[in-house]
Amino acid sequence: MTHLIAVYRQQLKTAIAEQLQYRAALVIWLIEVALGPAVSISVWSTVARNEGGEVNGYSPSGFAAYFIATMLVNYATQTWVFWEFSRRVREGEFSPLLLRPVHPIHADIAQHLAYKILMLPVIGLVTLILWLAFHAGFTPSTANLATFLPALLLAFALRFTLEWTLALLAFWLTQVNVINQLYVVVVLFLSGQLLPLSFLPAPLQAVTAWLPFQWMVAFPAQLLSTGLSAQAVVTGFLAQLIWLLLGLGLLSLTWRRGLKRYTAVGG
Amino acid sequence: MTAVAAVNVVHLRKVYRVYEREAGLGAALRALFQRQMQEIVGVDDLTFTIEPGEIIGFLGPNGAGKTTTLKMLAGLLYPSAGEVRVLGYIPWRRERAFLRQIALVMGQRQQLIWDIPVIDSFELNRAIYRIPPAQYRRMLDELADLLELAPLLHKPVRNLSLGERMKCEIAGSLLHRPQVLFLDEPTIGLDIVMQRRIRDFIREYNRRTGATVLLTSHYMADVEALCRRVILIHHGTMLFDGDLTRLVERFSPYKTIVVRLEEPADLRPYGEVLSQSEDQITLRVPKSAVARATARLLTDLPVLDLSVEDPPIETVIEQIFTQEEVV
Amino acid sequence: MRTYLRLLWTFFRVSILGELAYRASFWLQIVESLIDLGTALAFVSVVFSYTRVLNGWSADELLTLIGVYFLIGGAINMIIMPGMNRLIEQVRQGTLDYVLTRPEDAQLLVSIQQIDMWKLLDVLLGMALLVGAMLWHGSLPGPLQLLAFALTLLAGAVIIYSFVLFLATLSFWYVRMENILVIFESMYEAGRWPVDIYPGWLRAILTFVVPVAFAVTVPAEALTARLTWLVLAGTLLLAALALLASRLFWRFAIRYYSGASA
Repeated sequence: MTHLIAVYRQQLKTAIAEQLQYRAALVIWLIEVALGPAVSISVWSTVARNEGGEVNGYSPSGFAAYFIATMLVNYATQTWVFWEFSRRVREGEFSPLLLRPVHPIHADIAQHLAYKILMLPVIGLVTLILWLAFHAGFTPSTANLATFLPALLLAFALRFTLEWTLALLAFWLTQVNVINQLYVVVVLFLSGQLLPLSFLPAPLQAVTAWLPFQWMVAFPAQLLSTGLSAQAVVTGFLAQLIWLLLGLGLLSLTWRRGLKRYTAVGG
Repeated sequence: MTAVAAVNVVHLRKVYRVYEREAGLGAALRALFQRQMQEIVGVDDLTFTIEPGEIIGFLGPNGAGKTTTLKMLAGLLYPSAGEVRVLGYIPWRRERAFLRQIALVMGQRQQLIWDIPVIDSFELNRAIYRIPPAQYRRMLDELADLLELAPLLHKPVRNLSLGERMKCEIAGSLLHRPQVLFLDEPTIGLDIVMQRRIRDFIREYNRRTGATVLLTSHYMADVEALCRRVILIHHGTMLFDGDLTRLVERFSPYKTIVVRLEEPADLRPYGEVLSQSEDQITLRVPKSAVARATARLLTDLPVLDLSVEDPPIETVIEQIFTQEEVV
Repeated sequence: MRTYLRLLWTFFRVSILGELAYRASFWLQIVESLIDLGTALAFVSVVFSYTRVLNGWSADELLTLIGVYFLIGGAINMIIMPGMNRLIEQVRQGTLDYVLTRPEDAQLLVSIQQIDMWKLLDVLLGMALLVGAMLWHGSLPGPLQLLAFALTLLAGAVIIYSFVLFLATLSFWYVRMENILVIFESMYEAGRWPVDIYPGWLRAILTFVVPVAFAVTVPAEALTARLTWLVLAGTLLLAALALLASRLFWRFAIRYYSGASA
């Protein structure tokens, strides 16, 4: 355990130093982060105004609050392991990682944490700007915040586990980018990123109930923007935990089989 | 206690399955819809043992199976058949204890992180390999000294030259003092001076730590300078395993005789003339005929100087591989 | 002009041969384009299940807009972006010198030096969408409208080209800005919606800073008969100015580059 902590400390230090080299790139990525919610808020606010100020219980400022919260959750939980993995396997950069006496997942976790730490001030600024520009209406209570933070942490763990597992497909397929693209679209719609889940057609809503995606984004975002009933909070946490356990099981299974495959065809 | 062999390989075999690709536009279009599978034998029936502390040269033309073998030894590839033991471990299991005792250096851009100073990548390795601080400092000093790293340590990797990067790459993989070192083309693309420095370093590391070194190289100079024993593979099978000097004896049926004469003469009756300058002539003579040819040269002609030499190793190996190609 | 077209065709042919070697890219592009299209349509259909008109744009008119979005986005990604990405790479690795020694206009060469022919699919999909939207709408645009559409489309492409060239040329000074074109790519996404739904500040950015409005909204307005003569004239004027400005900037940058690397 102390060994792992030492590894993490060093990995974080290196990753931060590495990413600091690309400050300009970080700011550019940020435009992407900010633009998605800005578009969504604009579109739905227009709809709300057309329909007499409110649609499905959301006013323009309610939409603003929801999409800003979604952006924050998305920033905290987002990963880029898909691209990383297919690049690694393609360029033969995976082999050196395999020869280290530490599981490669730790390096990835540390890298993502480093990125999130670095981006924190910038995302704060974007939040403020969007909030002011779109007159977002939310004042999170302490109770909301108290449930939001653990939910966010679980959401990150869940999303990271799931996406790392999917990224392992690179061991079997040379072109995983299409799968990645499909996955991104599914997540976009079913996690609540593109629109609140209550706006989806009823059959799709029924589907989301049995999928892990809403627990990765919509659940924490709703906790932050509007708060949820005590019962919904408990359900949410339970769902997150169950999916996380399932995900971890799937991850270790896929990892073992993937390695077998990788070491059979050539590292 | 009898020492465990550093490397022990028995009937090792590796088969790959790959897709075929034909040339031409028609084939390219066809390949959009269906592809042919093909089996390729990478390595076949290799058996050898390496004792601790040896430096072994692993020779063979491109595609002979050198890298495949190294990867199997390091645990990156799973053998199709046969057995591998490195320090008593089964490599492909990649147990932590095993990984902490080996290092594989394969080309550039492996463990050094491109955008940050070299020393930071080293620090990362210290944490990953759990190197105690005192040992790390000692090792770093030693490596910095041997490879003259001091001016490089605080530069970002991307600002280093090819040779400097290779030096750092090697140093980084030795911080944990591996007992077995696999080097794949450690001097490729480097200038002569840098090649020699890396060569000297490998010898010195082997001497100081008693580590076993297995290296592949295109440069015979590397092999001649470092390895007493070489293993020759071609098309995945072993052609030779033994002393470098014996390699020449065994594979070259010829010797060269270099003669200096007082006055020019026609030497064609004595052997095949390889080169002829004003007063010096080089002859190629079958081994069995060397004694007779020398005696006749000395009695028939006004010889100033005469020497019998083995052909250069490089030529011998080239011959072996081209002959194999014909067969 | 004819030599330019011949040059373009040569590059196109070379890239076709090169691309055919990659069995996967063909299928990948089909799937990728369809996913993109599906996402756009799904989002629009959800929005229009809650309202009948979005700020004056009916569903079929919005479909026209998305058609333009795919058409022009495909064209940009096919011809302009690959070359610009490569230009940035060339500046970074110092291989731009080879291009500068060629006996042909360097700006032209870097602009068309690489072509991603699979993006042609997006162009075709965009056209299909336009046709579909017209059929749905039930009336064909008149000849004047079509002319205005063609003109604004061309003007939009020119404006975008000038802007992207400007961004890429910045890399002569800021070598580390490898992903500067992402600014354009992500802003272009905002073009899926008519710019008049955005609040004033964002509309201003999308019109004058990253000129997405001219590329997508204006041609779509031309097709849906809401373009005024003033906007048309302004767009054409702006296109000419943008082209001139980017040309001057490129010249200036090349002078700087030759001076700096000599």
